[in-house]
Formats: sequence, structure tokens, C-alpha cells
Amino acid sequence: MEHVLEFGRVLPAGDPVTITDGAAALGATIRAVAAGDQDAFARLYADYARLVHAILLGRIPRRDVDDLVQEVFLTVFRRISELRDPAAFGGWIATIARNRATDHLRQMREQVELPADLAGGDPIETEAFAVLEIVRGLPEAYRDTLLMRLVEGMSGNEIAERSGLTPASVRVNLHRGMKLLREKLGLETTVGVELAPPRNGPTKVGPYER
Amino acid sequence: MTMNDDYLWDPKSTPDPDIVRLEQMLGRLRSTASAPPIAANGERRTPNAGRRYLGVRFLGPALATAAAVMLMVGLTWKNIAPAPTSAGSSPGKASWEVATIIGTPRIGSNVLMGEGRIAVGQTLTTDAGSRAKMEVSDIGQVTVDELTRVRLVETRDGRHRLALERGTLHAAIAAPPGQFIVSTPSATATDLGCVYSLHVNDDGSGLLSVEAGWVAFEERGRESFVPAGASSRTDRIRGPGTPRFDDTEQAFRDALEDVDSAVDPVRRSASLRFVLTHARARDAMTLWHLIPRVAGPDRSAVVDALADRVPMPPAIRRDAVLRLDTAALDQWWDALGLDEANWWRKWKRPLM
Repeated sequence: MEHVLEFGRVLPAGDPVTITDGAAALGATIRAVAAGDQDAFARLYADYARLVHAILLGRIPRRDVDDLVQEVFLTVFRRISELRDPAAFGGWIATIARNRATDHLRQMREQVELPADLAGGDPIETEAFAVLEIVRGLPEAYRDTLLMRLVEGMSGNEIAERSGLTPASVRVNLHRGMKLLREKLGLETTVGVELAPPRNGPTKVGPYER
Repeated sequence: MTMNDDYLWDPKSTPDPDIVRLEQMLGRLRSTASAPPIAANGERRTPNAGRRYLGVRFLGPALATAAAVMLMVGLTWKNIAPAPTSAGSSPGKASWEVATIIGTPRIGSNVLMGEGRIAVGQTLTTDAGSRAKMEVSDIGQVTVDELTRVRLVETRDGRHRLALERGTLHAAIAAPPGQFIVSTPSATATDLGCVYSLHVNDDGSGLLSVEAGWVAFEERGRESFVPAGASSRTDRIRGPGTPRFDDTEQAFRDALEDVDSAVDPVRRSASLRFVLTHARARDAMTLWHLIPRVAGPDRSAVVDALADRVPMPPAIRRDAVLRLDTAALDQWWDALGLDEANWWRKWKRPLM
């Protein structure tokens, strides 16, 4: 079954766009995938591929990202029956993606020295890879949320819903990550309001909340 | 420069120029890969390359006629429930035939010499002196213009998908709606039985122009249904723009583009007034699409302007339209005389 978006409807800001919203619907989708339902798997892919892509793009060469996105979802398909709490799916798949990226980088080091991301001579693409490298140098939580926002086009609400992070954490990570990115890019910032009590570093690096 | 956190959180709020530029730049790195085909044992399913290829040879301009015929078929087909098997249910194929029209197109890093095949996952690239054409399985043809990069994402019975990263393609599809899909960085075009052209700029923005049939243009919940003789712009930030007929005056098009994309509210408001004043009866299609794209008093003004061109059906209430009630919007659409909205709902249902 395809995703059904309401005809002609422009969703309000931050309103998730897929039918797998809500723990109950996600749980049903996960049970269907565990039973081998390929349509449910395609739905899960549509909902979470951007999250996985962003996590991988922040860690491994772009040329390998699409392949690894598929590998992550193959792992999900094989192991989804191990997942007991559907609400933990976002954090679970994010962990699989991070682990797969780590394995991939280890294999790369053990094999041959590979060239870095190549932009192919397109000036805009070259610029994009330069900025990507800067984002890759940011703390993990800032990096992931910024890539979900700036590369994948996800809203803050979508990032929170898919990743399992609280909306407040996502907001802080986006704000501080963008502030850091602006500084590294030499863009002037005038930020007068802190979004959360001052803390050092990103909120909630590592195991996801919820 | 003050950082706009609202826009960072919600891409539909007032854009922050720096963030918009970063989005346009980094959005080029977005994935267009599809879900991996999986066998029952949980392994990646390998393409069935050994099957005999049954596709038609390149049909040329005759496909435009065929697409129109299929559109008629679609009009009949819309009244029946989707069957387990449908037209185009030929054996699954993991690659398409490709032929050089001129120059030296490439598939991956290999130069295409005359004819060849493009497999799922491979990219066809043309330079400034190259063009190529691809057979879309056995349902149609895609012509790829110069300076284009397009990837075959998926091809199987009833489902064929390309990712157009940049450049221009022309598609002529003779198949039931929903079988041929083209992803772009800023919107996804779903063929509803038609002939159309799709262009993507380097910044991911694009233009869809439909010659026959209908195309659904969608991104993140914003949809445009573009009929023959109409076009729709798209960009990474807002997704598909409001469709308009190609025979509208340039000033009307410019104003509509402002309504879709202008950041300055004064300019946007003035442009909306221009559109509402200068819309012809035929532009009711455009006005209908504008209803959910504006809010507050602007939405009321659009509803009034549409009612001036196509009276609101007695069965629906104005307040239902203003709160974007789907049934009310659909009924009003049906009154436009273009086609029934109910048909469009069906193309999103599974065909097989």
C-alpha cells in the first residue's frame, strides 16, 4: 500500500506526513515487517531512510552511503523481530546505522587508501562537499540533526519523531549546531536567546531518549 | 545577521537566507535510493536479468497518441476497482534499453556506444553534446537531453522509478496511472498516463510541463495535479509550486511565482491580488490549488475568486473549504470540469 496523503492538503508546519505516525501505527508496521510484509517494509523505508542517510553521510564517504542505507534496512528486516518496544525503533535503527558506519570505516582502513569524496568538478557540488566536511567535524548530535535538517529537509518535529529525541533536544542541537557551523563558515551571528539552560556540548549524545 | 531559529525548526516558516543557501547546497547530497528488494529469506533479491526482454522498441512521437489513448483507458479504469493484475503486467525487468541519440552519453563511467542497457542503480549522464533515449520497460520512452544526470532507481512490474538529479527529460508513458515515477531533489512526479517534460536546475529547483494527460507533483505533503497544457515549478524549500496553464500571461505567471515564493509579505499580498484579479475561468485550476497554500484573509479571498469563476457546489459549505476539509475541496474540484478528484485517490492505492 502506498502512502496516502490527503488530496490537495498542505500540512501545517511540522505535521508529519506519513501514515505511520503514532506508536500504534508504527507498532503495526513493525509487526507486519516482522511477518515478512514487503509493503510494510517499503513504508518503514520511506519513513526512516532520510534519518539513516543523514547518519551515514555524516560518517562515511558519500559514494558508499546509498549502499549502506540499503544494508542497514536489510539488517532491520532480518532483526526486527528482536525489537520489543516499537517506540524504540528510531533509536534502534539509528544505532544500527552508526555501528554499520563504524564497521565500514574499519574495513576501509584495513583495505586500501581510498580517495575522499569527489565532487566531479561541479562548483556547487564542490562547495557542498566542503561544507559537508565542516559539518562532519561537529559533535555527533549536532552533526546528525543538522544533516537531517539541511540535507534531508526534515523539520524539527520530524527529526524528533523519527530519531526518538525529544523536541527540546532537537531544537537545542539544531540551534547550537547551526551556531557552530556559522562560526566555522565565517558567517556573522547575533544570537540573543539561549534555548535551554546552558550546558556544555550537545544534548543527548549516544543512546537516544524515549 | 540574526539567526532565524523558527526557520531552522520549521522549513515552512519565514526563510533565513543563510540556511536556505545551505539547504540548497547540501540538499544536493540527499539520497534518492529506494528500498532494497528483499527475498523471503531476508537476503537482497538479485535482479532477474535472464528473462527475455519484451519491451517495445523506441516508439517515438506515436507514444504521445498512445498516452492519450491510455488516458481514455484510465478514465474508464477509474470506475473499476484495481485488479490483481493490470495492464503492463509483463515480466519484471532489472534494466532498460538505452540508445544514443547524439554524442557520447555515459552509463556510470562507461561510454554508451550506440545501444546498451542501464541497470537499477546505474546513472546515465549526458554532456553538452549528448542526448540519449531509454525504454521504460514496455510502457513508454524517456528522452534525456544534454547536461543531464539521471539514475534508474527501480523497475519491476507496475513500478518504474527514475531519479533526475539535474538536466531535462521528456517522458511519454502509456500505462495506467502511478506506474512511472521520477524523483527530483525538490519534488516527485508521478505519471497519471501522459506525456511531459521535467527539468531540474543545479540548485535542485525545477519545472514540470505536461503535454498530455496528468502528472501528480508531490513533496512532503504538498501536492499539485498538473493537467495537459499546464506547468508547475518546484524548489527545495517549498516543494511543488501552484500549477498554471502555459497560455497565461507572463505577468500572471510572475505574480503566481511571487505568491509561491516571495519572502516579503507586502509583495506576496500584492501578487496574490493580481492573480485573483486576472485569473480567467480556465485558471480555476490554479485558484483551487491556491486555497491550501494561503491562510487567513488571503484564503477567503481565494475562495471568493474561485467562486466567481466556478460557483461553489450547493452541497458544500464555505467554512468547510476554509478549514481545508478534503471532501469539500474534492467536490469543488469535481465542479471544475477537469476530472473527478476521486480518480486521483485511486492511483495511490496498490495496483497489484
